Amino acid sequence: MSERQFALDLGHSPAFGRDDFLVAPCNAEAVAWLERWPAWPAHGLILYGPPGSGKSHLLAAFAAAHADAGAVVVAAADLDDASIPGLVDGQRIVLVDDIDRLRAESALFHLHNLTRETGRFLVLAASRPPSHLPVRLPDLASRLNALPAVGIGAPDDAVLAAVMVKQFADRQLKVGEEVIAFLVGRMERSFAAARLLVEAIDRTSLTEKRAITVPLARMVLDGIDDRQGELPWRTANGR
Amino acid sequence: MTSAEWDRVKGRLRDEVGDAAYRSWLRPITVRDTGDGSVRLALPTRFMRDWVASHYGERIRALWGAENPDVRTVELVVDAGGAAPAPAPAPHGAPPVMEPPARPAPQAAFALCEVDEIGAPLDPRFTFANFVVGKPNEFAYAAAQRIAEADRVPFNPLFLYSGVGLGKTHLMHAIAWHIREHNPSRRVLYLSAEKFMYRFIRALRDQNTMVFKEQFRSVDVLMIDDVQFIAGKDATQEEFFHTFNSLVDQGRQIVISADKSPSDLEGLEERLRSRLNCGLVADIHPTTYELRLGILQQKAEQMGALVPPKVLEFLAHKISTNVRELEGALNRVAAHAQLVGRAITLESTQEVLHDLLKASDRRISIEEIQKRVAEYFNIKLAEMSSARRSRQVARPRQVAMYLAKQLTSRSLPEIGRKFGGRDHTTVMHAVKKVEELRDIDQNFAEDVELLRRMLQG
Repeated sequence: MSERQFALDLGHSPAFGRDDFLVAPCNAEAVAWLERWPAWPAHGLILYGPPGSGKSHLLAAFAAAHADAGAVVVAAADLDDASIPGLVDGQRIVLVDDIDRLRAESALFHLHNLTRETGRFLVLAASRPPSHLPVRLPDLASRLNALPAVGIGAPDDAVLAAVMVKQFADRQLKVGEEVIAFLVGRMERSFAAARLLVEAIDRTSLTEKRAITVPLARMVLDGIDDRQGELPWRTANGR
Repeated sequence: MTSAEWDRVKGRLRDEVGDAAYRSWLRPITVRDTGDGSVRLALPTRFMRDWVASHYGERIRALWGAENPDVRTVELVVDAGGAAPAPAPAPHGAPPVMEPPARPAPQAAFALCEVDEIGAPLDPRFTFANFVVGKPNEFAYAAAQRIAEADRVPFNPLFLYSGVGLGKTHLMHAIAWHIREHNPSRRVLYLSAEKFMYRFIRALRDQNTMVFKEQFRSVDVLMIDDVQFIAGKDATQEEFFHTFNSLVDQGRQIVISADKSPSDLEGLEERLRSRLNCGLVADIHPTTYELRLGILQQKAEQMGALVPPKVLEFLAHKISTNVRELEGALNRVAAHAQLVGRAITLESTQEVLHDLLKASDRRISIEEIQKRVAEYFNIKLAEMSSARRSRQVARPRQVAMYLAKQLTSRSLPEIGRKFGGRDHTTVMHAVKKVEELRDIDQNFAEDVELLRRMLQG
């Protein structure tokens, strides 16, 4: 390994600032830790945050930035005991997304140990902090609890706006500022709500053959309100 | 010129990190060469280089940049000149001021071990000198020391068991370090049970079980960690049983750990169970407050981190599950302080560990916020939705709206509805008002902050 890896640049290079990822107060700490790699206090790091808060995006950006070192992203649901040694082989960093859907707890336990013992790194993403995940294997639970964990908080208005602009753009829709401002002031302020709201507006605009304007946004928002008094996905999220 | 700059940088670092950390990590640094906007600093070992890079690299660079703006990069190199030594065995003998680090994270960048390696590398922190002894673990500690120091096998096997994260692995590594240092000709092999299993399965697949058997049966001390992971795995268990017997017959030492006593391990064959039971079975009890505090004090000192006693007491009190989580918590607090460049306080500790300290991630409701805020400002709960606009009740109401926006994901119209059917623009106004007041009124800012903490539990 070359010694260059420890050259400490004076200039700050926001590896995740590009690619549409908005670094904001709610995710700044998570981004800061990722950018610090490999100067971490432990071999692993846990990112947690609500659905839609950009965890997968961060994992993918991080893996892409360190592709040369050997980084791979896997879904927790795909982990099983037998796959662990092969998964680790040839990688410096293993990133596991969506720990909430982990099925084989022993597999993650082995992965944790193997990465640690062999000087590799492990990044985990979950919707909740490790202490609140329903992990049954005590050996795994205590290891997860001991890892540094950093949360992505609830979005502030700027993030909420940026998330929606990006999601509209992903659907090739250009939406005026006034529509975004209207929504941010009135919607449930969560990442999940932003995602579903954009979806609903897109759908309504298609079926009604109308441009996305404030009146259309109001209609969608009111429709949601009239139906349940609450956003319909609230119960779906188990709240 | 450069060395004068370095002296000044060192002086400032010394003020920042304290004498102990300075002596251990920063004093040994020498200036190798400079040029073209960069400085190269040398350290005697790779390990020290990695530690310094991860803990002080940023600060060195920043301080040097302040001394001399031309210096843009600071590079840390190992002085040994190329051939970096194998991971240094933990210094023993003289009690080290600073044992190796909170795990060699950046070391990984340089020493990527093969997945294939037969044993697991030993953690340099896990020595006897670093093991904090207290009532709950003194018996297991004494048994481990006995094994490490004995020339002849005193009991076979030593079976260590306890709940997770209480120091079984630490003791096993400590035995290995001790033997390596005092009796280097003895072959010590430490590995986890799952690794034993992986290797065995691979040997079966590659049809070279003979090599596998040889590897394990030629060691003087075999240590298998977390043996509960092979319970119920019949083929692996069978092989383990034979390895076990073969080693015992040859008078070699075996050390086993598990989460339960041999009698309580499920999925274990009877003959293996009775084998495991016939040596010395030592358990480690859950920690006491005193032991936890002792562990934290030692760990903080090793990290060279300035942790107020109050914070250590708080952690020892709050995190009683096990030592691993306790140390993990201290690690997180220290790492965060370093990340944001601020001192560790009780408040920052609670903030960083809020996910661990909170019993559950229950959501805060608007009703709860209204109740707490009303109590705090000593007004009636009904005032939260009343039409009264005197400042006495309007201000607390605005605080509650502000907190509802910060702490829940409810929409502003919905928040307005819960406050007596007010409009979402009223909520926006309240939020703006509170933000303005927070900036100019220190007492008010503290009230809001305190309420936020109370609500977040």
